[in-house]
Amino acid sequence: MRVEERIRVDPDGSVTAFSGKVEFGQGIRTAFAQLVANELDVPMERVRVVMGDTGQVPFDFGTFGSHSVAQEAPALRRAAAFARGLLIERAATQLGIQAKQLDTKDGIIADGDGKRISYGTLVRDAPLQGEVPEDVALLPPTRWRHIGKPLARVEARDIVTGRARYTADIRLEGLARGAIARPPARGARATRVDDQAARAMPGVIAVVHDTDIVGVVAERDDQARAAADALEIDWEMPKGEEGATQVVLLRQDADTDAALASAKLKRSATYTLPSIANASIGPSTAVVDVRPDGATVYAGTHRPFGLRDAVAGRVGLSQDRVRVVPQMSSGTYGRSSAPDVGVEAAVLSKHAHRPVLVQWSRAEEFAYSPSRPEAVLDVAGGLDAGGRIVAWRYEEHTNVHTAAGPDPSVVAMTSGRNAVPPYAIANASVTLHVEPTPLRTANFRSLAAAENVFAIESFVDELAHASRQDPLAFRLRHVDDARLRRVMERVAEVSGYGRKTADRRGLGLASTLYHGTYVAQVAEVEVSTSGAVRVLRVWCVIDPGLVVNPDGVRNQVEGGIQQSASWTLLEELRHREGRVATTSWDTYPIATFRDAPESIDVLVEGDVSAPSTGVGEPGAVPTAAAIANAVFAACGARVRDVPLTRERVRKAMSAAAV
Amino acid sequence: MRIVLTVNGATRQIDAPPTASLLSVLRDDLGLTGTRFGCGTGQCGACFVLADGRAVASCLMPARQAAEREITTIEGLARGDALHPVQEAFIAEDAMQCGYCTSGMIVSAVGLLARDAAPDEATIRDALAGNLCRCGVYARAIRAVQRAAGTRRVAGGSPPAMST
Repeated sequence: MRVEERIRVDPDGSVTAFSGKVEFGQGIRTAFAQLVANELDVPMERVRVVMGDTGQVPFDFGTFGSHSVAQEAPALRRAAAFARGLLIERAATQLGIQAKQLDTKDGIIADGDGKRISYGTLVRDAPLQGEVPEDVALLPPTRWRHIGKPLARVEARDIVTGRARYTADIRLEGLARGAIARPPARGARATRVDDQAARAMPGVIAVVHDTDIVGVVAERDDQARAAADALEIDWEMPKGEEGATQVVLLRQDADTDAALASAKLKRSATYTLPSIANASIGPSTAVVDVRPDGATVYAGTHRPFGLRDAVAGRVGLSQDRVRVVPQMSSGTYGRSSAPDVGVEAAVLSKHAHRPVLVQWSRAEEFAYSPSRPEAVLDVAGGLDAGGRIVAWRYEEHTNVHTAAGPDPSVVAMTSGRNAVPPYAIANASVTLHVEPTPLRTANFRSLAAAENVFAIESFVDELAHASRQDPLAFRLRHVDDARLRRVMERVAEVSGYGRKTADRRGLGLASTLYHGTYVAQVAEVEVSTSGAVRVLRVWCVIDPGLVVNPDGVRNQVEGGIQQSASWTLLEELRHREGRVATTSWDTYPIATFRDAPESIDVLVEGDVSAPSTGVGEPGAVPTAAAIANAVFAACGARVRDVPLTRERVRKAMSAAAV
Repeated sequence: MRIVLTVNGATRQIDAPPTASLLSVLRDDLGLTGTRFGCGTGQCGACFVLADGRAVASCLMPARQAAEREITTIEGLARGDALHPVQEAFIAEDAMQCGYCTSGMIVSAVGLLARDAAPDEATIRDALAGNLCRCGVYARAIRAVQRAAGTRRVAGGSPPAMST
């Protein structure tokens, strides 16, 4: 890594940091600025962070897996610390003082004896350059002025005043609007397009038919849509080919079957979760300006370089002729890993010879976006006479979870994420079955972890109750990792887990270890006699290692819990043969202000000696099981199918009462 | 057709199709892009503006109908550099993530506080129930509205500092 790839100090004293990651509301722009300001010893407002601009930042695979701070914190800190060292060396030469007699404060280097020089002055003649060594010394914690401070987002003022610019707010000279004519089924191809009526409609600039993309470019959005609707298209339907199921052994202990057979207490259960939608409030949007010699793409994207390559390939430009400039984006929770809307806008722009903005409609967003796949999770477990788990068999049936598709080298990490429980179990077998589906499925927050942890943490709760053990104590018997143990104990403490609750109320516990981040949650719910579940409070203790912005962490985790509670109680994407039926907020309701818990208390208790790990996803992972376990505690109903609808809970209550 | 609108205290004339929504006119003809498109069917609240002081979905309101009303958008709430108390409170509570729904939420809250200066929590939830947020900042937004109304006791720990 070279310092100039990551940090630039300008003669006016301002600092620019470069990262391939993209901001979607996770607060990483703020966290990165804090890290750089800290190691360079400059005020926060001096630091600007360029994110994901393929013309300016080093290559990055993308913003996913809650890796941003984990991956970028070490790199940005090292680069900034190295830059500070270079500046001190230059100051030493200029001032004629030994470097060790100089120190920094707020972008000024001084010797404590009246001699001082600003960073800006030191870069007037030559920018900072050089290879950053692995072992560059970072500032000691006693010198930290920004790391660990709870800060509001650097974009906050722009957001609350409406000045923040999202992709759909870009107004290039000559900007036209595009609309896509959607096929009746995924993979259908247009064999004939009659555009006679559409071309004559007001505002229409071009009708485009370029292999699998059919669309209209017009002056106004409604004109483009009206004309796209007026196209008469013959579609060739795709052949209903069933792919093969891919089976991946994630853990295979030879004695699992025997241990299960000879266990003192045996239980098995099946858990199911439906497909759900990423359901961004702002639908997918891109602005693309394709010219003969190059293209510029403005979009919210998790993979700027992937989008660049997809657009380049599609419009016939070399990759270095395409620049992707990520914009502020509605949160998309993984959905914008796919380059689709950017490619559509690029194709329309290429044919219309105008910059084109494509913004999907709400119905398009539900119907054609990738969704989180369904999951069916079969679990069997056995306890010995002492009440310890001696055998565990887990069969996960699901579909592909990423835009990478069923790549055998990645499915264990994606569709199989968190399928292996974090507990010490002598004999376990964990098998992943990735099945074909006509639904378009891909990246959604935490990939399969939310599904797997729902099943695992529900089943562990069932085993505890079946063997008359306290669910917390039962879990702790199987935990070797001190950090996991601590978050569980702490959340039990702060929530009063184990206390007696009011009638029809209950507390449920669940936890996870997700990409190095430890999370434990307790939910308190109230279940009405008719089966309606209300989440009253959620407590969460999270240990993501060294914390850069505690309030940023809290906000992410609160949001993850809120979103996950919505998945758990309300959401199901209904589809038939890949055609989505729930294409509006009426038919796909999500949690509203009325559904929000009374409080979500997140305690950020990071182990400062451990490296920073991510917080975007892990908060959302244990919530479903915490809620389901709380429902059981409240009314004896064990609900194994998400969402926990009133009808399902009522049926489970009746079954429990027998 | 020619439409004369009163937006953020100024009279604006535009030429737009008779079917144009207030949202498309604000965003595409007047350059007021702080009001966001979310669904086009009045179900998400991202496009809320104040019409004669009440929060309405600008995606559903024909621009010509808006001509008879005083329209205030998110851009019209601050007075110069002085933010509206609701805007200040959203920053103080860090009540945002991606921020896409924030304009609509703030507009709803301003509309609420104009008719009920000290709403209780249930009233806040009801008043903002039309504003969907997928990132899940509901709890923070409720606190922000309470803070703006002065009904929230800010006890113990200080709120996050402004970073800019």
